[in-house]
Parts: sequence; C-alpha cells; structure tokens
Amino acid sequence: MYAETVSFRTIDELEGALRGADYLPDRGLATALFLGLALEKPVLLEGEAGVGKTEAAKALATALDARLIRLQCYEGLDVSHAVYEWNYPRQLLHIRAAQEGSVSEEELFGPEFLIRRPLLEAIDSDGPVVLLIDEIDRADEEFEAFLLEVLSDFQITIPELGTIRARRRPAVILTSNRTRELHDALKRRALFHWIGHPSIEREVEIVMLRVPGIPERLAKEAAAFVRGLRALDLAKPPGVAETIDWAQALAALGREEIDAEVVEQTLGSVLKYREDIETVRDETLVGLIEEARASATR
Amino acid sequence: MQGGAIVRHVVTFGRVLREVGIEVGPGRVEDAVRGLGAVDLTRQDDVYFTLRQTLVSRHDELELFDRAFVAWFLRGPVAPLVRQKQTRQFAERVARDTLETDSDGDEADPSSTPHELGASGHELLREKDFAEMTPDEFERVRRLMAAIARTRPRRQSRRRTPDTRGDRLDLRRLCRKSLRSGGEPIEQPWKSRKTVPRKLVVLCDISGSMDAYARALLFYLHAIVGSGSGVEAFAFGTRLTRLTADLATRDPEAALARANEIAVDWGSGTRIGGSLAEFNTIYGRRALSRGAVVVIVSDGWERDDPDLVAREMAKLARAAYAIVWVNPLKGNPEYQPLAGGMRAALPFVDRFLPGHNLRSLEELGAVLAGIERRHAA
Repeated sequence: MYAETVSFRTIDELEGALRGADYLPDRGLATALFLGLALEKPVLLEGEAGVGKTEAAKALATALDARLIRLQCYEGLDVSHAVYEWNYPRQLLHIRAAQEGSVSEEELFGPEFLIRRPLLEAIDSDGPVVLLIDEIDRADEEFEAFLLEVLSDFQITIPELGTIRARRRPAVILTSNRTRELHDALKRRALFHWIGHPSIEREVEIVMLRVPGIPERLAKEAAAFVRGLRALDLAKPPGVAETIDWAQALAALGREEIDAEVVEQTLGSVLKYREDIETVRDETLVGLIEEARASATR
Repeated sequence: MQGGAIVRHVVTFGRVLREVGIEVGPGRVEDAVRGLGAVDLTRQDDVYFTLRQTLVSRHDELELFDRAFVAWFLRGPVAPLVRQKQTRQFAERVARDTLETDSDGDEADPSSTPHELGASGHELLREKDFAEMTPDEFERVRRLMAAIARTRPRRQSRRRTPDTRGDRLDLRRLCRKSLRSGGEPIEQPWKSRKTVPRKLVVLCDISGSMDAYARALLFYLHAIVGSGSGVEAFAFGTRLTRLTADLATRDPEAALARANEIAVDWGSGTRIGGSLAEFNTIYGRRALSRGAVVVIVSDGWERDDPDLVAREMAKLARAAYAIVWVNPLKGNPEYQPLAGGMRAALPFVDRFLPGHNLRSLEELGAVLAGIERRHAA
C-alpha cells in the first residue's frame, strides 16, 4: 500500500509547510530542500554546530508527512550497523530447536532473521521516507564510498537474499560539520547548502515559535545576548539550539527580562565549556546584558 | 527567458566559474538547468540559491561564487577574480625564482650539472641541508621523499575482518558452520580489527626564516597528501591557511606561492601563537585535531607573546593524539631551543626532531610510523 504523497509546487508552499512544522527556514534552505525534492537529489547541509541542520530534516519529514529514518554516523560505522545484520542468537536457537539438522540455509538466512538497520529500512519502505544521514564527516571514508553507491542506485544487495530496490526514492538529507572534506564524488551527487547563523529577527521569531508563551521582550533580549556571545572568541559559540534551550529556561523561571543574576544562574545552558563561561564572567557579561537590553527596546 | 537561452546562460556562467577556480562538471550544469526549470525565475534570491546549491559544493568557494554571480548576472562592478590573478602572479614568480637559483647554482656548486651521482653522492645528498641545495639536487630529493611519505601512523579501525588469530567470534560464519553440526558451534571462526592510517595534521611555518625548509617540507607534504586519506595540511606565517586541497590538486610550488600570498605578511614576524589559536578555533572546534598526530614545522621564532603559544599548545595537546615538532635549526649540533615560542611550546611536544635534510625526514617518517603517545590524555 502506498501512502498518499505530499508534494510542493513552489518554494513558498514548502516554506509554509515547514513553518507549519514549527521550523523557520531561511529562503536558501527552503530552496535547497525544494530542489532536493524536485530533482530527486540528496541535499548536503553544512554549517556550524547548532544551526539546525538535523532539525531541518525532521521538519521536512513532518511537512512531507513522511517517516524520518536517521542514521547517526561515527568513526567505525559499518554495514552491520548501517544496513543490516543477521540475528545470530535467534539463528542458533532455531537450529537447535529443529534438532536433527533439518534446517536449510535458505531458511536460516530468511527475512525473519534479518535485523534491519536504517539504510535498509529507508530503501525497503512502502511509505514516504526522509532519510537523515547525520554527521557523515564522522564516518570512515570506506563507508562514504559505500554510501555513494547506495545513493546512486537506491538498492542494497544482501548476499543471502538478493538485491532489494527502493520502490520509491527516499528524500535524503546529509549533514556535515566539516571535520574533514567529503569525497568529491559524494558532493557531486548532492546539492550543497551552507547554513549560517540566522539573522537576529529570524532568531527572535524562532524563539517565539519554539517557546510558546515567552514574552517578546525576553525573546529579543535572549537572542541579542546570544548574538553578542557569538561575536566573542569562544571554544564553542552557541547555536540556535542553545538560544532555544536558554529561552526555555528563562521562561520557566517566569522572567520578563534578563539581568546579571538570572544570566549567571542559567549560563550553563548556553555555554557548554568551563573556559567559555570564564571568558564571559564579570564585565563582559554585564556589557553583553546591557547591550541586549538596549537592543530589545529599540 | 526561453529554455535555450537559460541553457546558454548557465553553460557560460559555468565557464566563468571554472575560470575563477571552481570545478564545475557537466553534470552540475545539467542540475542547474533542471533546478532553474523548477523555481520562479523572477525571484533573484531563488535563482541565486539554485545556481549556488547546484554549482558549488565547498564552503570556501562560496565567496568566489558570490563575486562571479554579482559580476555576471547583476552586471555589478567586476571584482577582481582572486584566484586567477594569483595564479598568474605565482607562475611569474616561480619562473623568476627558478631562473635566479639556476644561475646561482651553476656557479656555486659543480654537482648541479645533470649527471648521475654515485652512491656516495646519494649519501651526501641525504645529509645536505635543504637550504644549501641546488634546484637539480632538490629535484632528485623530491623523488626520494615520496618513498618516505608512505609511512604513516596507524590506528585500529572498528571494522573487523576474518583472522584465525582474531579476538572476536565471527558470528555470521559461526551460524553458517553450525548448520552442519545441528547447532553445535564446533568450528569457531574468529575475526579481528584492521588497522587504518591515523589522522595526520601538519602545520607548516612558511615565514621568511623558514623559506628553504618550508619549500622542502611542502614537497614532503605533497607526497603525504598523495599517500591517501586523512591528511590535512596547513601553512602559517602571520595567518593560517588550509593547504590540503591545493596540495591534492596543484603543483606544490603553486600551492606554496598561494599560501605565501595569503598567510605571510612580509616584513612582520611569525605569529605562531596566533596561528595556533586560529587553528584551534576554526578546525579544532570541528574536531579535526581529535585523535590526530599533529606535526608542527617551525623554527619557533615568535613575534608576539610566548604565553599565547603555551596556551594554544595546551589546547592542541588535549585534543591531539601526539604532537611532533620539527625544527630545522635542530640540525645544528649547537642549537639550543632558546627562542621564546619554542621554549613555551616544548612542554607539550611529544617528539622534537630536526627536519633540515633528507635523512632527518626519514627519521620523521620512522617516528610517525611508530609513534606512541607520550603525554597523558
């Protein structure tokens, strides 16, 4: 059974649907996702940590009314964790239960003993799927080469079962933090979009959307403060994700505005390194708070 | 615009991009044309993003793309197309340098005449300081470097392959084999982890005082980058610049010339601390140095603050697997690491090596192949 497919005729339509999924893309990102669907090509999203690369894929899945299948990459990721694996304990138990050696190899390597990992799951799905391949730069290059093959043919071969072809192509989103350059061949196959930090207006809008009920003034001050932090020399500048976390904390404390006391209490949800927290102590902090408060009244 | 006109436009624009140094294959041009077919051509930002997302695939090419886009589609003032201009400049400079050194060499050193050197000549060449080599000797040394570059530090991969002396049972094969014995695992196939090359990050000082050595080491780097994946190369002087892509695709001379334009402010000293900070901030944050063997090639002359060098070295040492410092001055037996930057960096260095001649590069190769971590995690 094929589920009804949602499709978008224009970038504006997709943008609207993403907004409906509580995600505010900038025009460039909306264009990239739209082209990915229109040209049936994977979209490679790069950008600093916390700018919403992973969130974009989730929102796209919601907008398309599709299932999100996520493959988190790491060094040493291999086929048995990305594609499929045989369920060995069950296989052994099955042989024993049958006694007298009456189990055939076909039976033992049949679908019921197969553990399906994300890539197989995405290829072998009946409904619409958004396949998120997260932090591809962390995987080994051998895996990248394998992935390239999967993304060009949308098929997977299991020696014992044969070749499984995608009945419908999943929408594919790849993300990378650029810890290394990806293979040219993989890049050539994908549309490339670089996501920067959002403009201040958009960030305020994002905070208001993601933290319902937050006073507008507080959202503005929080966004302006985080923006100030990004301009400093920090080990890990906060992303939009941190702004949202922090705004949630502030709203939960029932604040209408930020001040030195509450910032000191909650700074840990914005800055994740001790050195960074030390960098912005005292005068820097007071200066940033004043600037943020001033910009919010403008 | 009609279909045919769009195609012509995009094809020409692709050529413009190629001229400024962005690789644009025919497949990409096709994507761009199809993409434009799907978006509203009256919206300039949609056209811009469509072209950018289909034609560019690297973050560091975005600026070049933007200049080309403004110049070509918006008929903006034609900004100087950086790479093209530079290429011409280095071509000229390399030609000039080659000519100059050629004539020098002929007068000063009779061994520069292009005839085969005997075994003893070969030995001499290995010991000769890079700074004193003639272009011809240098050329021969280049070929020897490639061999040294093939030795790389390795780490264990998580992937396993069949191995009778392995440390893990190969369950897939075990199941298959147990079929014959009614579920009794009589034969036990084992597997073990493979080793793969460890990440290698090289930071090379190319400021004036390092000139002769930097050139030799860049050839060495070129050979290392060619040795396979997981190698990242950077050059620094007053600033830092990433060389990996240049070394992979370009002639090392051209890569060096480009790095010189970007990273060296002639007449001001080396900023080791500042360059390390730049590396730690931009690349360390993206975990480029995590678990890597980091090789720093520099004489340790720091213009600014040695304390900054110490601070940034400490950060780097926390992320890296091991740090190797190569200092060509160490080739002189009387050398003492007295330069402020060098002194500040040494406590964080696992291996301190010279790099002034071919023999010392061989030593570097051997150290890299068998490196073990000295500093605590």
